[in-house]
Amino acid sequence: MSIGKRFALLVLGVAVAALVLTGAGAPEPEVVERDTLTIAIGAEPESLDPVNMTSAPAATVGEHAVERLIYMEEDGSLTPMLATSWDSNEEGTEWTFQLREGVQFHDGEPFNAEAVKANLDRFLDPDVGAVYAFLLGSVQEVEVTGEYEVRLHLEEPFAPILSHLSHSFIGMISPVQLEEYYLDDAGEPIGTGPYEVVSWDRGDRVQMRVNENYWGNIPEIPNLNFTFISEDSARVVALETGEADAIMAVPPTDAIRLDDDPNIDVTYQTSVRTIYVGFNVNHEPFDNKTVRQALNHAVDKEIIVEAIFEGNAFVADAPIVDAVFGHSSVGPYEYDPDRAREMLAEAGYPDGFDVTLYHPTGRYPQDSTVAEVVQDQLADVGVNLTLETMEWSSYLDFLYLPEDESDYRMYLLGWGTVTLDADYGLFALFHGDQGAPAGNNISYYRNSEVDDLLERARVNTNPDEREALYADAIELIWDDASWLFLYNEGQVNASRTYVEGLIHHPLENLSAWEAYFVD
Amino acid sequence: MYQYIARRLILTIPVVLGVSIIVFAIIRMLPGDPARAMAGPQASPQYIESVRARYGLDQPIPVQYVTFMSRAVQGDLGVSVFSRRPVMTEIGERFPRTLLLASVSLLLATAIGVPAGIISATRRNSLFDNASMIAALVGVAAPVFWLALMLQLLFAVQLGWFPSSGIGTPAHLVLPSVTLGAASAGLFARITRSSMLEVLREDYVTTARAKGLAENVVVYKHALKSAMIPVVTVLGLQFGILLGGAVLTETVFAWPGIGRLLVDSILRRDYPVVQATVMMLAFLFVIINLVVDIAYAFLDPRIQYQGGQSE
Repeated sequence: MSIGKRFALLVLGVAVAALVLTGAGAPEPEVVERDTLTIAIGAEPESLDPVNMTSAPAATVGEHAVERLIYMEEDGSLTPMLATSWDSNEEGTEWTFQLREGVQFHDGEPFNAEAVKANLDRFLDPDVGAVYAFLLGSVQEVEVTGEYEVRLHLEEPFAPILSHLSHSFIGMISPVQLEEYYLDDAGEPIGTGPYEVVSWDRGDRVQMRVNENYWGNIPEIPNLNFTFISEDSARVVALETGEADAIMAVPPTDAIRLDDDPNIDVTYQTSVRTIYVGFNVNHEPFDNKTVRQALNHAVDKEIIVEAIFEGNAFVADAPIVDAVFGHSSVGPYEYDPDRAREMLAEAGYPDGFDVTLYHPTGRYPQDSTVAEVVQDQLADVGVNLTLETMEWSSYLDFLYLPEDESDYRMYLLGWGTVTLDADYGLFALFHGDQGAPAGNNISYYRNSEVDDLLERARVNTNPDEREALYADAIELIWDDASWLFLYNEGQVNASRTYVEGLIHHPLENLSAWEAYFVD
Repeated sequence: MYQYIARRLILTIPVVLGVSIIVFAIIRMLPGDPARAMAGPQASPQYIESVRARYGLDQPIPVQYVTFMSRAVQGDLGVSVFSRRPVMTEIGERFPRTLLLASVSLLLATAIGVPAGIISATRRNSLFDNASMIAALVGVAAPVFWLALMLQLLFAVQLGWFPSSGIGTPAHLVLPSVTLGAASAGLFARITRSSMLEVLREDYVTTARAKGLAENVVVYKHALKSAMIPVVTVLGLQFGILLGGAVLTETVFAWPGIGRLLVDSILRRDYPVVQATVMMLAFLFVIINLVVDIAYAFLDPRIQYQGGQSE
């Protein structure tokens, strides 16, 4: 036998062995009966234990297994989840919740007021160190007032408490598990949700199966997998091959291509984060409101949204995104460079001025490109920007300085109103007493009328009155223009056309409990 | 022989210690605060301070190092800042997967590279020789990232033969191990070829041919063993490189091994995981080197290990 033949045989042998070993000679026959939904996400949760969760991926996976007292719909409205109704005293310092009866945790433990107290107490325990404990910062005591009734005592009236309680990180896990892992991480959480965690194979996937004893509508799809594919292109490929039925965070360039694929649906949804350029209102020339408004007129937000984000971003029409409770549309500032020039002249800057814009790079999608476009457009009205970028944590240290030490004039930043309540997106950023470094008012903006409105909205327990107060505040904030309002970030998800009923939430959660397969 | 092994083992200690100091220092020079990375941008300064205290990040770096090493020798590598799980558990879960991927890649690379090299050598300048050497060059030179994407597009998206990413079945191994093994296969083919060509010019091979032995017998019985010595060296070193070099492959194919853990942990500023992983890889590399050196002795009786006697 010649060497050539030997080699050919060897190659053949290896190939056959590979096929036998892998059983992968042909594509798997089309599965007619689908029973598993696989969602590929870009990052692995850091934890699924409510006290240790910090990220949107953790919330997305976790909320299928662990529920809160209150659920926040995509439009920011609050609906009953494990609490069926709630009420406060006149002052708004005591909130009483009626709990859903007959609910069981996945381990068979009953859900009741004691379980709620145990969970909230752990969340608030400084020794546990929950990152998001500040959400319940106003809660003084959790009192069990009946088997299915619990009362929260607040230090002072705090109306946003309801939306804070709806946050994905304030979930209820089994008291038995909670006790065992009180100071540690519970690992695979035992909740009351529509799905229960079967296994968490670190680095690869979380597997879930339907909770047959679920108190609400039992999901149609029996098995649910979340797989972690950090590489963008690999995640898109997994969707194209059908290995994943849905993926989150589609890159803008791929979104266009996937849009053309008849087997794939692309979903564009707003996120909760708005991106803006802040002015330091203490320093010339930005101590002049006309200048700030002029710059708002000088930037074409449409161009940024269309050219940089391929339509997957939304021109800001308020300082908070429209999914947030309390949002009202007041903008955008019309793009009108001529008017901007006139206003600058009127303010005493007919030839414009030079100023430095500080911005992060890589913190937000396309942040440095946005800074360049702003630079380009402001040059058109005579305002010449020098761009300066910094590493993220150094940047924060640079911005969060006391008022008299701050040296910057313009900075690019974003803010995510993760509670979907206007208080979180306005109070810390526009209240005069919230100046950096204690608060997030890095523009050092102060308008006593706004302060008053924000304070009243914070303690008022009537949702309609709150909305009206925020509408007034937003109008003033918009007119004062302590920011150059830019755009709200979007999110892009994609799914195979045979999947219906996915919920694409502005909080960057993808929920599958209402999903079903079609042919 | 045993003395030699013992001495080499002792010599690994300063190497591993040196690596540990360098790694420890480099990680801490990176910009970015792990406490802030963990707490998120909207956390309070007090909270960030408490995280620092909890993980000992407020201590001077030499103190942190001593604490880390004294715990490490007792088998405690600390707790991941990201997942809050023991680092030992994290690595213990991921390492077998990388080991599997690297082993299959090496097997594949050997099964393809060595025979190709032998045939190229025996049929020098033939069409096969030229074709396989060009293929070897491409294998060595193709960027892992590009190769991975091409394989995904062809075999997963177009043909649907293999899964594009993830783990689970043996089929999931195919594309990542081809990607990871391609460079090694090319290297093996080239080294086998040149080593074989050299050996085939040796006197004893000429003698064997003169005795009238069949060419097959000459090549496979007489020449092959000698020709394999440099190949074995490279093979061993490649295994170490494959273990540590799976970073890109694991990222593109979402293979939850040690390489991806390392990349993710660097991005998260997860000090405990990064330092433990890098140190473990360094230690493995040292051990593999040792094993390769010892393997020489068995392949080539001319190599003597004198131990302390030579001094």
